[in-house]
Amino acid sequence: MQSSSHRWWWYGVYVAVLVAFGATLYMASKRIEYSWRWERIPQYLVSDEGTELKAPYDGFVSVADDGKSLTLKELKGGRHETISGFDDLLVGDGDLVFQNDPVARKRGLVAGPLTLGLWMTLKLSAVALVFAMLLGLVAGLGRVSRNPAAYALATSYVELIRGTPLLVQIFIFYFFFGTVLKLSAFTAGVAALAVFTGAYIAEIMRAGIEAIPRGQMEAARSLGMSVPQAMRHVVLPQAFKKTLPPLAGQFINLIKDSSLVSVMALTDLTKAGREVVASTFSPFEVWFTVAVMYLLLTGTLSVLVRRLEKRLAHD
Amino acid sequence: MTEPVSAVAPEVLIDVRDVGKTFANGVVGLKNVSLQVRRGEVVCIIGPSGSGKSTLLRTLNALETITCGEIHVLGQSVHASKADLNRLRTHVGMVFQSFNLFPHKTVLQNLMLAPRVVAGVGEPEARRRAEQLLAKVGLADKAAAHPGQLSGGQQQRVAIARALAMQPDIMLFDEPTSALDPEKVNEVLDVMQVLAREGMTMCVVTHEMGFARAVAHRVVFMEAGEIVYQDAPQRFFDAPDNERLRGFLGQVLK
Ligand SMILES: Nc1ncnc2c1ncn2[C@@H]1O[C@H](COP(=O)(O)OP(=O)(O)OP(=O)(O)O)[C@@H](O)[C@H]1O
Ligand SMILES: [Mg+2]
Repeated sequence: MQSSSHRWWWYGVYVAVLVAFGATLYMASKRIEYSWRWERIPQYLVSDEGTELKAPYDGFVSVADDGKSLTLKELKGGRHETISGFDDLLVGDGDLVFQNDPVARKRGLVAGPLTLGLWMTLKLSAVALVFAMLLGLVAGLGRVSRNPAAYALATSYVELIRGTPLLVQIFIFYFFFGTVLKLSAFTAGVAALAVFTGAYIAEIMRAGIEAIPRGQMEAARSLGMSVPQAMRHVVLPQAFKKTLPPLAGQFINLIKDSSLVSVMALTDLTKAGREVVASTFSPFEVWFTVAVMYLLLTGTLSVLVRRLEKRLAHD
Repeated sequence: MTEPVSAVAPEVLIDVRDVGKTFANGVVGLKNVSLQVRRGEVVCIIGPSGSGKSTLLRTLNALETITCGEIHVLGQSVHASKADLNRLRTHVGMVFQSFNLFPHKTVLQNLMLAPRVVAGVGEPEARRRAEQLLAKVGLADKAAAHPGQLSGGQQQRVAIARALAMQPDIMLFDEPTSALDPEKVNEVLDVMQVLAREGMTMCVVTHEMGFARAVAHRVVFMEAGEIVYQDAPQRFFDAPDNERLRGFLGQVLK
């Protein structure tokens, strides 16, 4: 045990190092005469731009007398559509508008591009995780299987994926499988991430299964259980508990790895960051913000997993 | 059983003939072993460490393969390629030296699992059976406990009850008391003795000579993978007609 005054001293050192580091960064950015514009960032998280209402087809606008609704008369056809419930009118009476032109705006707060990117990253990772777990479980069982075909297939899969860079795999999924199988960018992204992460989960599963004493399988078999029954009821539940910490690490990796799919036509958090940088010319602020947003995601996940671990440890 | 063998008298539940076992690494586990066990018989197997006692026991329910010979259990050829091992094993309970209870399940769930998933017994019936067996081994109050919360002796009694929950015709015990503190040995042996009195067919690998003498109908001595001598307990212990057994007994009973 260290005395508490010692502890406080070391916390002081910790803070001092952080402050020194921050100051160095600040001075360095001063030297290149970078003007920090943090005030520009919030609008990319939450914007008050509201939502634009768009013209469903080409046509002429006629605005109601009270200005609270407008009617769009189709240019080549007989459709009439009335649009109401907006706050600002963006067109005038008699204007010709084309399909998808904004005609009016509803005020209010909406998610900015960075928040939308964060949501996409979360969605991408969560869907990929589900498939990665399934793939990893199957391949992990193959890795401990005594069936030569299952073992060879699982081993080839794991070696192939772990031996090539994720970015290359993403290109292959996007350009090759994406074209051949006509996958959307989202599907291709999920597939690439799931296949990649599945290989690592397979090895985690293998280690988890092998960590369960042989006597467990033997006891289950001696009671008449088949191998799949013994796996399902006896070995896997115990292995799962053992693999939870490395699995959580893998999920966190998955979230971070998902930033690589920003090379596809998919606006995840990283891609959103790039787009915001292009429109603000404030790369430093944007990338720090993006980093913090990733950290929020992974940090929350760590906390959740730690709680789950504690709960499982009790029984 | 799907394949009753007519050559064997019906009351012979275990019939081991000329069995040999060589492990993948070349070690000889069993040599020319033959052994018959009749219904209701209690056979104790003793012998020095590494003599093949566990190997023999584990070939009886095919946890271990054999290299040559033939084993029939309950009239079914155990090592035939088309043997339905899962079905056979439901009739042959096994108790291990290291208990091998399922640590993620409660005591009651340990007893109910195999009847539920293997035998397809309904939940109320499985529970009733489990509670009855726990009472029988004196652990009715531990139904909700996890194995990790029990003493070694209690865990082994649960393991016996778990095997019995499948209502087996034969029980195999591999040194069931060797991992226990000395003061916990008797509570397990007592349960086994009750089973023996009820007429269970049992093969027991043990170092407990007192138990073998009191409970066994026959005692088998193994050495270097062979059955060297077998006899009724009284003659086996008091006047064995075998030099190597006398040497072994002289050592362990000293
Ligand atoms: N899986 C295995 N692979 C190789 N050799 C083995 C294996 N299992 C057992 N053996 C060897 O076979 C021989 C018989 O082992 P067995 O476990 O049957 O002995 P035992 O009589 O049960 O001994 P103990 O009293 O120590 O339990 C020993 O020499 C052992 O080392
Ligand atoms: Mg042994």
